[in-house]
Amino acid sequence: MESNKKYWKGLEEYNNTPDFVKNNKNEFAEPLPIEDVLNEAGLSTVTPRRDFLKALGFGLGAVTLAACQTAPVHKSIPYLVKPEEVTPGIPNYYTSSFNGQSILVKTREGRPIKIEPNPNAGQFFRGTDARAQASVLDLYDVSKLKAPALVKDGKVEETTWAKIDSFVKGELAKAQAGGKKIRIVSSTVSSPSTNAVIAQFISKYPAAKLVQYDAVSYTGIIQANQNSFGKAVLPKYNFDKADLIVSFGADFLGTWISGEEFTAQYTANRNYKSLENKKMSRHIQFESGMSLTGTNADTRVPVKLSEEGPALIALYNAITGNALPGGTLGNNATADKVIKLVAKELVQAKGKGLVVCGSNDVSTQILVNAINAAVGSYGTTIDLDNPCYLYAGNDAEFNGLVAEMNRGEVGAVLFLNSNPVYDAANAKAFTDALAKVPAKISFSDRADETATACDAIAINHNYLESWGDANAYEGYYSIVQPTINPVFNSRQAEESLLTWADAPVKDYYQFVRSNWEAKMLPAVGLKWEEVLEKGVVTSAAKPAGAYSFTQSLAQVATSIANSSKAFKGGDQIELQVYENVPMRDGKNANNAFLQELPDPVSKVTWDNFVALAPKTAEKLKVKEFDVVSVKGSNGYAVELPVLIQPGQAQGTASIALGYGRTKVGKAGNDVGKNAFPFVSFANGTMQYATNVTITPTGGYYELAQTQTHHSFEGRAVIKEATFAAYLKNAGAGNEKGEHKNYDLWDQYEKPGNNWVMAIDLNACTGCGSCVVACNVENNIPVVGRDEVRRRREMHWIRIDRYYSYETKNGDVTKEKEIAKLEDLDHVSVVHQPMLCQHCDHAPCETVCPVLATVHSSDGLNHMAYNRCVGTRYCANNCPYKVRRFNWFNYWNDSRFDNYLNNEFTQLVLNPDVTTRSRGVMEKCSMCIQRIQGGKLQAKLEKRPLKDGDIKMACQEACSANAIVFGDSNDPNSEVSKALRSERIYYVLEEINVKPGIGYMTKIRNTDTTVQA
Amino acid sequence: MSGHNESILREPLITGDNITYAKITDDILSPVENKPNKAWWIGFIVASLGALLWVVAVSYTFWNGIGAWGLNKTVGWAWDITGFVWWVGIGHAGTLISAVLLLFRQNWRNSINRSAEAMTIFAVICAATYVVSHMGRPWLAYWVLPLPNQFGSLWVNFNSPLVWDMFAISTYFSVSLLFWYTGLLPDIATIRDRAVGTRRKIYSIFSFGWSGSVKTWQRFEAVSLILAGISTPLVLSVHTIVSMDFATSVIPGWHTTIFPPYFVAGAIFSGFAMVLTLLLVARKVLGLENYITMFHIESMNKIIILTGSIVGVAYLTEFFIAWYSGSEYEQYAFINRSTGPYWWSYWMMMTCNVISPQLLWFKKIRLSIKATWILSIVVNVGMWFERFVIIVTSLHRDYIPSSWAMFYPTWVDISVFVGSIGLFFTLFLLFLRVLPSIAIAEVKLLLKSASEQAKMKQIKEGHENKEYVTEYIESLEKFDSVKQEDYAKI
Repeated sequence: MESNKKYWKGLEEYNNTPDFVKNNKNEFAEPLPIEDVLNEAGLSTVTPRRDFLKALGFGLGAVTLAACQTAPVHKSIPYLVKPEEVTPGIPNYYTSSFNGQSILVKTREGRPIKIEPNPNAGQFFRGTDARAQASVLDLYDVSKLKAPALVKDGKVEETTWAKIDSFVKGELAKAQAGGKKIRIVSSTVSSPSTNAVIAQFISKYPAAKLVQYDAVSYTGIIQANQNSFGKAVLPKYNFDKADLIVSFGADFLGTWISGEEFTAQYTANRNYKSLENKKMSRHIQFESGMSLTGTNADTRVPVKLSEEGPALIALYNAITGNALPGGTLGNNATADKVIKLVAKELVQAKGKGLVVCGSNDVSTQILVNAINAAVGSYGTTIDLDNPCYLYAGNDAEFNGLVAEMNRGEVGAVLFLNSNPVYDAANAKAFTDALAKVPAKISFSDRADETATACDAIAINHNYLESWGDANAYEGYYSIVQPTINPVFNSRQAEESLLTWADAPVKDYYQFVRSNWEAKMLPAVGLKWEEVLEKGVVTSAAKPAGAYSFTQSLAQVATSIANSSKAFKGGDQIELQVYENVPMRDGKNANNAFLQELPDPVSKVTWDNFVALAPKTAEKLKVKEFDVVSVKGSNGYAVELPVLIQPGQAQGTASIALGYGRTKVGKAGNDVGKNAFPFVSFANGTMQYATNVTITPTGGYYELAQTQTHHSFEGRAVIKEATFAAYLKNAGAGNEKGEHKNYDLWDQYEKPGNNWVMAIDLNACTGCGSCVVACNVENNIPVVGRDEVRRRREMHWIRIDRYYSYETKNGDVTKEKEIAKLEDLDHVSVVHQPMLCQHCDHAPCETVCPVLATVHSSDGLNHMAYNRCVGTRYCANNCPYKVRRFNWFNYWNDSRFDNYLNNEFTQLVLNPDVTTRSRGVMEKCSMCIQRIQGGKLQAKLEKRPLKDGDIKMACQEACSANAIVFGDSNDPNSEVSKALRSERIYYVLEEINVKPGIGYMTKIRNTDTTVQA
Repeated sequence: MSGHNESILREPLITGDNITYAKITDDILSPVENKPNKAWWIGFIVASLGALLWVVAVSYTFWNGIGAWGLNKTVGWAWDITGFVWWVGIGHAGTLISAVLLLFRQNWRNSINRSAEAMTIFAVICAATYVVSHMGRPWLAYWVLPLPNQFGSLWVNFNSPLVWDMFAISTYFSVSLLFWYTGLLPDIATIRDRAVGTRRKIYSIFSFGWSGSVKTWQRFEAVSLILAGISTPLVLSVHTIVSMDFATSVIPGWHTTIFPPYFVAGAIFSGFAMVLTLLLVARKVLGLENYITMFHIESMNKIIILTGSIVGVAYLTEFFIAWYSGSEYEQYAFINRSTGPYWWSYWMMMTCNVISPQLLWFKKIRLSIKATWILSIVVNVGMWFERFVIIVTSLHRDYIPSSWAMFYPTWVDISVFVGSIGLFFTLFLLFLRVLPSIAIAEVKLLLKSASEQAKMKQIKEGHENKEYVTEYIESLEKFDSVKQEDYAKI
């Protein structure tokens, strides 16, 4: 239907005006002003002046208002007078020494940040141990005192040096005048200059005397040598010259005398280079607790502490044909059998055998001397003429001091680098006696257990702030020089002593220098500056003489038999207290890096524990992590959790020393329990074994372990062979199945370098110094006990430790078969450093949604922290589980207050490596900052990069040279040569991820006849 | 459609007599247009307390870091991705019902598709929250999107299954939302037409000016069909891609080609279970027995038997292949699943997912509302454990034994999961209050052909074969909403 109605738009339409008729045909009835706008004038319209001023005014106002906010001020102060040698971004290296070992200290912009071994150290050059690596953190320890302090009624009050000096001088004068004795109690002083200072001090105060005592004592060996050969020294052991090493409880690769040195010597006869020459030493270990050394032994025989003496007597009898009484090992058939075979081998090895014993008992050590003399070790593997000066403590003298103090004869006592209130065997008696001394002065850098029992704390420098020297061995002098101005108001102990002695030269720098210029330098014809640069002075070793043993052993045998009988058996457990590798004697207990370094054997961090054999635990009706009360024969008791330790001798228990500090600082206070009170003084020396009763308390305490599964399940992750099989076929144990590889991916082009690594499982002892070196180099966070318990430690490199059980039908490695085994005593161990394998077909790279982890053209797997969003997919897909996630902001979170939560400690950070925020993945970068640094150096010097220019932090720290890093595109590089070894295998190569790190098979020099 | 009669042999999709178009509208809109009852309030308070827990737990995680969860260096995903896959899986039933069943002209879907789709959307929201919250730096979550950026040519990694995931989930969410909303338009318009005041204004905006003209209806049908076509492949692709998060990895227990079909079947399995969990309650509380009938329940149970059996076969196949492959890592992964430290979770999964759905072969159980409801929950518990088994037990003991570890959830892990359930139910309960829980328009389509009263009329007209009629009447016995005495009279 059509409407008839018509609507008009307007009168124009109604009237049908011509204009309307004309325009109505157009789309727009009225013309749009488009043309006006688009013509020249429209486009070039000038902004009116008023509008411009308005905009200007508004803009200015807005900007002014926005600028009114106070922006954060970051102070960046340039050098007013730039020190000649400091270039921002370029590290400086200074020579120094740590515990007698010559080192290089890397400093950046005046901050010491890393310790490296000193390549000038010649025959003493080797890697650095975990303590040396971690020691930089001690410099930046906030738990230290910031000024000297006087202690009144247990309250530590900071004061000035003038007040300290007047107090101490007054007290010393009083003591001297009153005819009282003055005692300087120190751990072994191996520094010639310190000794000279003490001599000066004594000349001023003739009543003074130096009492050296070591928390873990070697008096037994020193006195035995005095007794046997008239030389009261700790000999130099040459493990590199030994083809057969027999150790009775000496943890010589870990804590015994000089672990790093012995590691270097020991592995020289066992690493891939030695194996290529078809040479490998043999190592048999008799011990009760599983030590780091025990884990590396070719044959390890668990013996009880009470059996150690008889075993030595048996060995002596078997070698010499004598019949000393007490050499029966009736209850330990294995040990008995092995001793007889070892005796034969030692005789055969004539002059190339070495017997060492960890005991501190004089009689035992005399017997060891007799054995070594009988097999001709003196002059070859044992050198008495170039002795070691690292330990000279005298237990009897220290014990005498307690008596002197009790009698009130001592007027003043000074504690230099010693903390007997914590670590003396008879700490209680010592503390009581100490209270009777009128003046007590400590040189500790913090208010520790002894310092708080003193009257004055004359805080000492950290060694990185100090001048000094060391004389670790005859003819081996190293320098200690400061690498930073003292951070706090501390004064070097030697300077304090010189001040109090009113010495003519009070400046210790001058003192050391003139001492060197007078005594050491003329002999070697070097100038002081040259020594500072070189860091070390070595003179040719004296010829090592052969020594024969002539004394009667009847008394020694009786004494050993009595000591052995002192272990009662029955319900009593034989307890051994020992040093473990991270904590040692507990002096560095506040070092978070060391606390978090897993014990190489148990993989426990942040605690000590009672190690028990599975059978012993069964007998005591305790399970792992049950808390037990351990009560010693002297009445001292501690409650500690149990750790089931395969290989621990049945009927024995082991507890690590160095824990249970109460006044060391935030990180180390109340970590574990103190085991020093279990040490007893008997037969003139400290004895580290005692009888205890162990009773369950019903408590439960989970230890924080970094590894909780201990067998490798027969997987090709570990490949091993015997030395006999290796001699027949170098690829023994490394048989590769025939299989074809198919690649979905393109090969990466690696035109320049291809950085790879070779790791020798036969050289790696598992000590863990690489772990700490990596921590320090790469700013790896310390996460603390709770986080380790949650399996969140951040270590980029870890040492996997696997047990396998020796049976008649070969080694058992699978969890379910192990559960059925009866005999868990005979265990063999393998250590495997595990770090990012920098796979060429990295599974992590394909799965990252944001390309935060990618491959480089030089064979590395990069991690771009800034790009990471934290899906953790890469870590899940990593077959090696080497990726670490920042679960929290570890460096800025009050819950992790044992590490970097203050600006001072943050100075330890390596500025070349960024710290990672929470929510970001991280992992081994192959020390990319070192690779770049090395490349840059070569470029600046306009030369191609040489093999060995770049070293990884882990590699540099390794005394065993177990880690070889380099460029596989260079066929002549050391790593290329190492990777051509028939022993090389790649972990999980069967899944075709093409890892970049080759491992060399573990070779064990086991003899089937000795095999337990 | 109303022009012809449906075969008397087909069971009715709407029961009850005197059902009129108006009554359908009244019935379905009664929860929307009336004050909520006590049951709703109780449910809502419980659910929103759960949602609050979720807010607390997720905020705690954001504030402190992922360390608040129980994850570790070995197990980098646990409850988070378990929850994610579980929720995505649950969502699948909605899409299957709305899209696949539409294409297959399964008219019975008309009564359940709306709620099922809403469930899909809420489940995908829950899943998506996990995607963001499991990240170490969630504030950078947008980096997984291929957005133009100021970082130069920095792009996402198209090789990464997580990027595929992101595409899959976002596509899935947008298509599902579109489909659901399109379906809602005529119903929102219905509410608008019946409402007054502000309500009317609001519904008027959300109805997009639906006019109800033939043209509109025709376009509506066309769009629905097209969207169904787009959604259908998503039913298969989304969970396939989710499964590829695992299948493309190298971890034994993850690296499995069977995962895509196995995951899809599992998803539908769990989704239908969740639809049942929700609708069995909603039907009772909202009085919708006439629209969601025993026939619907039984049909869904049948799908559960089928998909549950597929899942069961997949479990056994995995085991067989692990043995057959000869790969020691693969073999260990499966032996460890069934006998390792997490054996209980494996057997929980086997019992809930493989054994319990087989009970539905019994007609009695299949038709028992109580039993069905319990089984639907059991199935979802089982499906949660399935993902837990796949993720945690594969990761916790993979290649290198030194790194083997256990996973223990913290209170935050548990709260995030429990809270996500709270969030889901909060959203679902709100949905019941503001939108029709059954597609009104689509149900009305069935009234003249497939309803009980239409069939009754057919019988009364007497054109039908007697035998068929008897059979039909017998089939009605299972309906709890049918009065048997009506048929006795005939």
